[in-house]
Amino acid sequence: MIDLIIFLSLLALGYGFGRHAENRHYASIIKREKKLRALPAIAAKTPTELSKPNDSCLVVGSVVISVDYFKRFISVLRNLVGGRVTSYESLVDRARREAVLRMKEQAKAMGADLIFNTKFETAGIHQGNGNQIGSVEVLAYGTAIIPAQQN
Amino acid sequence: MEYSNPEIPEGINTSKGHPLKEFFWLTSGVLVSIFAAIFLLVVFVDALTSYIPFSVEKEIPLPEFEIGTTAGPLPEYLQSLTDRIVEAQSLPDEMKITVHYVDDGTVNAFATLAGHVFLFRGLLEKLQNENALVMLIAHEVAHVKHRHPIKSLGRGLIAGLALSVISTTAGDAVISNFLGEAGYLTILKYSREMESESDETAIKTLQSIYGHLAGAEDLFKAFQDETEGLEPPEFFSTHPLTDDRIAAIRNSVAGEYAQDNQVTALPNEFKTWLVSDDK
Repeated sequence: MIDLIIFLSLLALGYGFGRHAENRHYASIIKREKKLRALPAIAAKTPTELSKPNDSCLVVGSVVISVDYFKRFISVLRNLVGGRVTSYESLVDRARREAVLRMKEQAKAMGADLIFNTKFETAGIHQGNGNQIGSVEVLAYGTAIIPAQQN
Repeated sequence: MEYSNPEIPEGINTSKGHPLKEFFWLTSGVLVSIFAAIFLLVVFVDALTSYIPFSVEKEIPLPEFEIGTTAGPLPEYLQSLTDRIVEAQSLPDEMKITVHYVDDGTVNAFATLAGHVFLFRGLLEKLQNENALVMLIAHEVAHVKHRHPIKSLGRGLIAGLALSVISTTAGDAVISNFLGEAGYLTILKYSREMESESDETAIKTLQSIYGHLAGAEDLFKAFQDETEGLEPPEFFSTHPLTDDRIAAIRNSVAGEYAQDNQVTALPNEFKTWLVSDDK
């Protein structure tokens, strides 16, 4: 019985903390995205003709987010029956948006007005063997265009 | 080329729906499948264990019996009664029943793997005539005859192993519940259907040995005295309720059941054997 109790408490802890963290993270993401909307990050490989670059620079944003016990348990069950692993969808979505935000924040600090050639790298991080609770890393990088100063 | 910076709608890359709802559906679905699988396994095991030859059952290593004895006048008397019962139940030759007498006040008797039957002093003291004793031994022999020990063992093991998938301790609990304390294979638990089946066979045995069923009730009355009206409801108990068992005796051979049939007395030395063994 004791192992069931431990398991259920882990599940409850994972759900409680995980959900709280996710809601807070989403609130912060939405707020910061609004603030940085004026600085677009586009996938095009070349800058637009409109931009008047003075300088360009590599900008990078990286984030690591851990899976909680509850999300992992749901994904394990999903492995049995198939279908969308919804518990991981929000996790990866948060990681991607957070990485872009961090990249944009770096670009903004440089005075950039556009990031082009935006790319993503994703990596799963496991502790020990693949059976442990893992984390996901998302790295966003692109080229920031810093316009000429208009004096 | 036209460029625009549209506001991206929220939540387009994630699924809607509450995670707890998904959790509920997934868990209940998986649990239902696991229990269905356990149920199927038990059904298969039940069907297949009847095909395990008794000779194989005899080869299952049992722990050394720390209780009971087969030597002495009382065990020998019990064994001679048993041999008559074995003949009456027409057991196959290889099904040899060994009676062990346990010098202990517990009101109990049980049959286990490889045809070992254990009778406790506490229960024998309560029996007033040979018919009741034969009813008792016939009931235990019937367990062996119907292969209940191996069926119960198979059932317990398979259900326990399957349950360990969910919880190791729950699986262990089921296994040890079936196998008795501390992994001893001596005290197997039988289902109520098994007990009723054994009762039925025992009644037929009594009928064929004595030609009547007088005294059969005395066995259950001995149990009734023990529980002193505190018998738990049938649902919680694996044995059928005593009253139901007495009623079953009366109904089984209604025409032949007669109160006035004489019971056979136990040997005169019976009480002495019980007492002398106590010392």
